[in-house]
Amino acid sequence: MSSAFPKWTNALPIKIGIILLVLFATTVVGITYYFTPKYTRVGYAPTQPVPFSHELHAGQLGIDCRFCHTHVEQSGHSNVPDTETCMSCHNAVATDSPKLELVRQSYESGEPIPWVRVHALPDYVYFNHAVHVNRGISCYECHGQINQMEVVTHDQPMSMAWCLDCHRKPEEYLRPLDEVFNMDWRPESRQAQLEMGLEFKEEWDVNPPLSCSGCHR
Amino acid sequence: MKKITKLPEPTAEELAGPKYWRSLDEVAETPGFRSFLDREFPEGASILETVDRRHFLKIMAASFAFAGLGMTGCRRPEKYILPYNQQPEHIVHGKPAYFASSMPLRGYGIPVLAETHANRPTKIEGNPSFAPNNGKTDLPTQASILNLYDPDRATRSLLDGREASRSAVRDLLDELSRKYRDAEGRGLAILADQSRSPSRQRLRKALAERFPEAVWCEYEPLDYTRPEKLLSRLLGQSAKPLYDFSKAARVLSLDADFLGNDPNRIAHSRAFAQARRVTAPGDEMNRLYCIESAMTLTGGMADHRKRLATSATEAYAFAFAAGVLRRTNGDSRLQARLEAAIADSALDQEWIDGCVEDLVENGSRSLIVAGDHLSEAAQAAVFAANSALGAVGETISFVATEEHSAASIHELMDQVENGEVETLFVLNGNPAYNLPADYSWKNIEEKVGEVIRYGYYYDETSEGARAHIAATHYLESWGDTRAPDGTILPVQPMIQPLFQGYNELEVLARLVGMEKREPYDLVFETVTSLRDGLDKNKVFRVFLHDGLLENSAYQPVERSLSTGAVSDLLPTKAAGTEGFSRRNLEVRYLADNSIDDGRFNNNGWLQECPDPITRLTWENAILISPTLARELDLEAPDPTLAIVRKNPNEIKTGIQRSPILELRIGEKTVRGPVHIQPGLATYTVVVHHGYGRTKTGRIGEGSGFNSNKVRYSDEPDFARGATLHFTGETRNMANVQNHWSMEGRAIIRESNKEYFEKKPDAFQSVGMESHTPLVLRHDHDMPLHERATQTPRGTSMHPHPELTGRHQWGMAVDLSTCTGCNACVVACQSENNIPIVGRDQVIRGREMSWIRIDRYYASGVEDNNEVADDVQVSMQPVMCQHCENAPCEPVCPVNATVHDEEGLNVMAYNRCIGTRYCANNCPYKVRRFNFFDWNERQLDQLYLGPLGEKGMNELHKMQKNPEVSVRMRGVMEKCTYCTQRIESAKINQKVLARDSDNVKIPDGTFQVACQQACPTESIMFGDISDPESEVSKWKRREQDYLLLGYLNVRPRTSYLGRLRNPNPNMPDADSLPLSRKEYYMKNYPESYTSRAEN
Repeated sequence: MSSAFPKWTNALPIKIGIILLVLFATTVVGITYYFTPKYTRVGYAPTQPVPFSHELHAGQLGIDCRFCHTHVEQSGHSNVPDTETCMSCHNAVATDSPKLELVRQSYESGEPIPWVRVHALPDYVYFNHAVHVNRGISCYECHGQINQMEVVTHDQPMSMAWCLDCHRKPEEYLRPLDEVFNMDWRPESRQAQLEMGLEFKEEWDVNPPLSCSGCHR
Repeated sequence: MKKITKLPEPTAEELAGPKYWRSLDEVAETPGFRSFLDREFPEGASILETVDRRHFLKIMAASFAFAGLGMTGCRRPEKYILPYNQQPEHIVHGKPAYFASSMPLRGYGIPVLAETHANRPTKIEGNPSFAPNNGKTDLPTQASILNLYDPDRATRSLLDGREASRSAVRDLLDELSRKYRDAEGRGLAILADQSRSPSRQRLRKALAERFPEAVWCEYEPLDYTRPEKLLSRLLGQSAKPLYDFSKAARVLSLDADFLGNDPNRIAHSRAFAQARRVTAPGDEMNRLYCIESAMTLTGGMADHRKRLATSATEAYAFAFAAGVLRRTNGDSRLQARLEAAIADSALDQEWIDGCVEDLVENGSRSLIVAGDHLSEAAQAAVFAANSALGAVGETISFVATEEHSAASIHELMDQVENGEVETLFVLNGNPAYNLPADYSWKNIEEKVGEVIRYGYYYDETSEGARAHIAATHYLESWGDTRAPDGTILPVQPMIQPLFQGYNELEVLARLVGMEKREPYDLVFETVTSLRDGLDKNKVFRVFLHDGLLENSAYQPVERSLSTGAVSDLLPTKAAGTEGFSRRNLEVRYLADNSIDDGRFNNNGWLQECPDPITRLTWENAILISPTLARELDLEAPDPTLAIVRKNPNEIKTGIQRSPILELRIGEKTVRGPVHIQPGLATYTVVVHHGYGRTKTGRIGEGSGFNSNKVRYSDEPDFARGATLHFTGETRNMANVQNHWSMEGRAIIRESNKEYFEKKPDAFQSVGMESHTPLVLRHDHDMPLHERATQTPRGTSMHPHPELTGRHQWGMAVDLSTCTGCNACVVACQSENNIPIVGRDQVIRGREMSWIRIDRYYASGVEDNNEVADDVQVSMQPVMCQHCENAPCEPVCPVNATVHDEEGLNVMAYNRCIGTRYCANNCPYKVRRFNFFDWNERQLDQLYLGPLGEKGMNELHKMQKNPEVSVRMRGVMEKCTYCTQRIESAKINQKVLARDSDNVKIPDGTFQVACQQACPTESIMFGDISDPESEVSKWKRREQDYLLLGYLNVRPRTSYLGRLRNPNPNMPDADSLPLSRKEYYMKNYPESYTSRAEN
């Protein structure tokens, strides 16, 4: 009697099983890698309408963050400066640079400059800049070495797990208040950071929220 | 082994007589109501109706097709940040800015602070600089922000049916001005709303000078200025009465709803609550006697309430005045005249004597308030009685107001009738809708040459007008108003006019032909001219900053009331109650508790805000007393009326189905659904204004009936000779009162003041938990702040969150002072971006409001099957109680509702998958489910699914509070204790603390939205882990109890039981509140008598 199925089909279920397993594993790994903020967001560096360089302004010239982002210490939002702030220097410096054409135009016409948003949190997340920079969390922790960025790049994933890393262990990131806006400050060692961080945590009563209400309203 | 505490099974008799009944259905114990009680949402709330399977598949196919199209846009969308070109000073992006202003409402202004986000007003709060209100507001003020963003408001002006440009409108006004200058104003008539704006009055004076022959008439369907007119005549100078309830230990209200419909209700409510609040046994508490025909908020607060037809109130007013004069040895001539006038009247002398004795005993700390609609003689008699009590200068003051005169509507109509009016300029108001029925607006339009209309909505009056000039909202205009106490308040714009609108002052100035027409300049001039010799700019800046002009309140007059003048007003015989029967009914017209006289008709928040007494939304009804209902039932050819409560088959789904009756007065008729309302005078029918608009926006369209159709100019507030007739039709009513009933246990706990003195623990000795000591009492003696954090579970086995937070939030609500005014309900709606759902969805029980105010009736009888006429009303605001052992949390499969470390029961909307298990498990029924995408969909297209229009109106987007997520379809929501306000307070404190550990928020730093709005200051919120915080003090009071405390869910919100203060010498005095009487009757039928006496 000839068999209904040839012999090679004996191994078929196992083969199919293995292929499915591999496919499944690839999908899981693929999604975890390609569809999470670590991949989708980190490294996002859109071309801005005005090629403003943080590297030049904050790095080489050493202008303080708060010169432009004036309300970062008072408000939840860190404001993008108005055109007038740009022009307060650029009516004397590089007055006819072609790169600044849009800024001059905006200043004359009153139309705002359409900066492209780099860091966008979902609408249901209420992040507050003021409370972080006033309590020893540097711009650096979220925005990276911004004073070395020619074009602003999304440096950290800014996912909820990433936020909670810090909220669970603030001592790893707390720094002296006068170093908050210093992008180049680094702790001497991890040990030194932990010691200092714990001390600050104790002294300032740092107890970041871990429940939903901290960020979602 | 776990000990099971057995709760006693109710007996059959007990089930037959409910302790509290909230609706007539409940009394009748109908199957419909039973099913209501058993279900979490009313039947039908979770059923997809009107869509059959085929239709459903069709819709779904379409939605898949759309989804396919959408897949192409998977890439990250590019978003832009558009900074200012030139950053304005003082604007910090992301921080709200507050500006002082005031909301004009029927002549007076309500001082407000407008919260603005990026120059966009989002929320209205009271202005705390104005001392009488202490930063409190009322219902319409809270809701007024929505009118600004109403897409149905008049967005452009029309002239001869065509859109009119800005210059065309100006030309029109200039032309009018030129035309009438030569004629000295002959032929020009202005029909305006009431206003005490000093600038407008200045313009009016200028108008009178330039156009001496022009007629200036002011008309309001509800006129609150009659006491002022009367007092001015009696004193011989412009004056009005101003009440100070905080000094009044005894108050008698004669058909005066001073807590509800009164221009000064905020200050009244606050002062009244101050005098009523009892913090410990031994504290003083005021007492309110109330005589009224309708059931009002004031009546709900009364310690003694007498139902009486408004027509008969005059005789009672005389009797009270006579009684007071006799006991105080006042003017005997006046007393004799008063007594003569009531010689033939049938009066409840015992009630009067008991009350008068109490008033006289308290002398100058007593106050009698007469309704504005009562006869002049009645009001004058009450003024005389107050003078005799020595109350003038104490609880009531006569203050000098500015000279003000305007023609009455009768005078204007005479002129129109004689053809003397060529141009009728209608300034605000809506006479075509709200003129009494004996004036036909059509006729007026024909008689006058042209009607020019200035108004905020394109409404009935605009329809027949030659020109409609669009008005600006008060949040878009410069102006000024006067508070009820006379203080001058600014109206300042928060935003540029959204549409092409005109400021009232600008229009008037142009009409007058003044050189200076900029509203800002006009107001500047008016205000600075009142403060001569000072730096004008500084005066004005301070005026705008504070939101009021210091020391501009009306001052008390020096003259005193002459009894002779009062005596001259008295009739020889007081009007009586004779002849009232079901064939001769009295009709009482009242402003609607939400939409007023119709001016807020197109405001969705107010339309959906339930009436505090009837609990009806989206419409009005003909309110009749239970006795009258019974009588009509017998008379009716078809006993349709009975289905409201008797025929169980008609209320299968627990929906109130009302027969439509026709109300007839003279030749005029109106049809409306009937609602049986306990507490009404037997033969008084109550109708509310504001509904039945024929030309209004999409919200107000088709809601209710127009009460003005049966209102005559000679009896504008109450009328006699009405009859009711059956039409055979019925209507489903959007009544929210049946929903979420709590089966009548010790829900609202009440006690009398006297009983409370004897037994301060009276509030703990009722209710189930008084019998279940094991669960609840083992940590009973611990201080609250320790109990909350250390043994939050009691003996519960359920797991519990660690309450380790720095603060522990809690709330207390004082039921003794809550009037049920609904200000908190809409304040919450405005703060928390709560959508409206529309009438149809309210009928299905899907309303979204996070706070509901339960209204209970108690009549003190064992057998509640008969609807009672005399009831005691109790109000209870119920919002999420933030249980420490929250039953909603363990049943959520996705951890969308969890506890935070500060004791909040939080909702993570993004986790919620909409199982609704939490709502099912909530004993308080305070969770609200988004059955539809209320924000994105049109209310009339909800069932069209993806085929309907999608997207929020741009204007509505502007109103949303950016600090609160806008929820979508399929998620649960509920009161969050204003978590956004808590978080922002915490953040502000941390920002201040910087490198110190001063991160604890001091008590009183912030208020939650309901607390901030509450005019009686009945809500307290704060940190209960701090024993010195105000809320901890409230919770330590003897009255404090937990709602359904025996469940051991440990709510963070507690209630302070309601105290009543009846006078034991009154004939209707009870030793116990009726609700408590019912509690004992039902739970202890055998030992009831001894319990009630002890």
